[in-house]
Amino acid sequence: MTQFSRRAILKQMGAVGLASAVPQTLAAQNPYAELDGVPWFFLSDTEARFLSAFCDVLIPEDEFPSATQAGVIDFIDLQLATGYGQGAGLYMKGPFRRGTLSQGYQAEMVPAALIRNFIAAAIEQGGDLAAADAEQREGVVSALSETEDSFGGAQGRVVFEELWALTKEGYFGDPLYGGNRDYAGWEMVGFPGAHAYYLEFVDKNVPYRAPPKGIGHIPGTNRSASLGASAMMKKEG
Amino acid sequence: MVTELPKTDVVIVGSGWTGLAAAYELANAGQRCVVLERGGWRHSTTSFGAPEEHDELKYARQKEHMIDTPIKTLSFRNDGSQTALPMRRLGSFLPGKGLGGAGIHWNGQLWRPLPSDLNMASHYSERYGQGILDGLSVQDWGVDYDELEPHLNFFEKICGTAGIAGNVEGEAAEGGNPFEGRRSEPYPNPPMKSSPPQDIFRRTAEQMGYNPFHMPSANVTRAYENPYGAQLHPCVYCGFCERFGCGYLAKADPIICIYDVLKDHENFELRTGAHVLRVEKSADGQTATGVTYVDEDGRELFQPADTVCLNAYALWNVHLMLVSGLGTPYDPQSGEGTVGRNYSYQTMAAASVFFEKDVWSNPFMGAGAMGMTIDDFNGDNFDHADLGFVGGGYISANQTNGRPINYQPTPPDTPSWGREWKQAVRENYLHHIGIVVHGSSVSVPQNYLDLDPTYVDDYGQPLLRMTFDFPENDRRMSSYVLSKAEEIARNMDHVRAVSTSNQAAEGESYSVVPYQTTHNVGGAVIGTDPSTSVVNRFGQMWDHHNVFVFGACLFPQNLGYNPTGPLMGLAYWTLDHMKSDYLENPRPLMDA
Repeated sequence: MTQFSRRAILKQMGAVGLASAVPQTLAAQNPYAELDGVPWFFLSDTEARFLSAFCDVLIPEDEFPSATQAGVIDFIDLQLATGYGQGAGLYMKGPFRRGTLSQGYQAEMVPAALIRNFIAAAIEQGGDLAAADAEQREGVVSALSETEDSFGGAQGRVVFEELWALTKEGYFGDPLYGGNRDYAGWEMVGFPGAHAYYLEFVDKNVPYRAPPKGIGHIPGTNRSASLGASAMMKKEG
Repeated sequence: MVTELPKTDVVIVGSGWTGLAAAYELANAGQRCVVLERGGWRHSTTSFGAPEEHDELKYARQKEHMIDTPIKTLSFRNDGSQTALPMRRLGSFLPGKGLGGAGIHWNGQLWRPLPSDLNMASHYSERYGQGILDGLSVQDWGVDYDELEPHLNFFEKICGTAGIAGNVEGEAAEGGNPFEGRRSEPYPNPPMKSSPPQDIFRRTAEQMGYNPFHMPSANVTRAYENPYGAQLHPCVYCGFCERFGCGYLAKADPIICIYDVLKDHENFELRTGAHVLRVEKSADGQTATGVTYVDEDGRELFQPADTVCLNAYALWNVHLMLVSGLGTPYDPQSGEGTVGRNYSYQTMAAASVFFEKDVWSNPFMGAGAMGMTIDDFNGDNFDHADLGFVGGGYISANQTNGRPINYQPTPPDTPSWGREWKQAVRENYLHHIGIVVHGSSVSVPQNYLDLDPTYVDDYGQPLLRMTFDFPENDRRMSSYVLSKAEEIARNMDHVRAVSTSNQAAEGESYSVVPYQTTHNVGGAVIGTDPSTSVVNRFGQMWDHHNVFVFGACLFPQNLGYNPTGPLMGLAYWTLDHMKSDYLENPRPLMDA
């Protein structure tokens, strides 16, 4: 199923000019190469490669797709280019001060700029995350998740939380937004999606087997059943 | 340049539950009502339909139905020694915007106060001695339970509330809440269904000697017509309640339950996109003359009125008083003044229960008020003599909002990301339930609301400034009631693991970042003493008799329940006195 691929999303969003410039195929040189040469709304290729390595530490590949495989980088790219990234829902009047953790977001820039600066600072200090081996990558992400040091405009751990929230949104949000490709996240946990009528099921101690369906009404495959997310689902299926 | 509009009888600021209830009652009493709503027009039938509404990213995460912080926010600090900084993004609580207000995205958990909640100060003093309230600003509401009962009852019927009554005219009923006050009528609709984990919770609670019952719910359980003639449909347990509007017309909301049966009334006019800047006062300051607002085109308009009703969200009512110079601002140094005094919140904790694989919670099925609850540790339903705190909370196994971006249950000691996290989420998502402790919040002298000296909103007005941290009393209360919840969880069958979390844990500061609850209360409290309350026991301002105040800003401290039931009981109580007494002879209804 490719209807939620980057290209499809670009077309859906009306960015036909951009989409038509996309090369038809790219030989995969490494796990991130498929991202190369594809026009992003916001990210540079370097930033995309960094985020891909970063997010795949947070949600790595196992029987279910990694963050990148599930479209999380496409999702983040779109989010950074639009409302969230550009500061929708964010009060941006000054003066700006570094507050306590309980006072929340106090960065002097919108999330897109904050994340861009964070990536640049992380690469400057830690090198190319995508080129590092798995253990090194985990070490870098772990360090960034805890640090009080400023990374491009806010404490590292603050930006880490932004990226972790985005990653989960991309993995578990409706595929309309470019992530959760082929319902990767919903298949994994067994969430049936947006079409929800459970009057006859809510009091029953049984698995609910309908394959996921997003707002776009495209049925999923219920892959989670065959992959053993739940043994009972399989047995009864 | 301010344009003066033709005078109206009543101007109502805000079109949520209380604003539309006020408009309905007053319009039908012959008063011409103009309702000013900051946000836009919307309708449950056309604005909240599935599947589009079932978009967790847009509504639950990016909070499309909530107030826009760039336009309206507040500043926050934990204590008076800190510099308050603006709450730049929504988090801990979510005020609404648009027609219906926060009544659109609520869960529908519809409670009555306990009788002892309403006279909390005198009740505790009499039972335990005055000393138990030392250091607290706890006080009586000035309205007692029997006075509010008809109004609480009426609002339950407006919402088609589902539940089992525990006490109809003093008769205890099987399956109801044995602690509740006397009610004149049972609930209009039967209770919600319960899920397998909730049934396990119920059995265990019963075995431990507690008294479980279905949480009273404004997610209605059968086709229903309310006393205004509005129609509601049965809930389908879709799991999209909190933070969403209900396109199934199954969660009672102000649009379906009131607006639809009011909108064509000749005495009713709704103006959306109307941002009220201030209440204007007469030359002698004794009364209000109307309100000044900015319309969608940026024009400033003055709407004169005989009576002004403040029906904005609890925090914004207080803000409006402060920027308008209504009443006297509270000064925490001297203890003088009342506007902004007694701000309190809600104290939330939870036990997280991980079941074996043969118990299916299917958390995406549910409803906002689908809860199996005990009240044994709420209010003063248990002996506080040696506990070192007042107040309590209900303990409830809730099956409400298990959508996957926000809901990734992992057992204790699971890493917070990575391979093991992913595996744990996958294994536990369908086999987990949260047992919430929904606790009271006492008022204390150091928690309050005033105006920020530095930050301004989009209209150039100073932001409201919140100074708040959990009082020690509430930390002790929350820890105690959570220990009871945890005990139940550990006694439940088929449980693999239990973990707990407590927003008010010792040593943790209250934070505006993680969502807790949209139950901000106080700041313009009700009472019988003008030195400790902003409005008298009828909801009328002591200082300006033609200003009536509605909503949770009236609560002198927060009870262990969700606020909508109590605040709507107060609203109908106030409206009753306006209609039967005040409007024909406008004057202070109590002597100061």
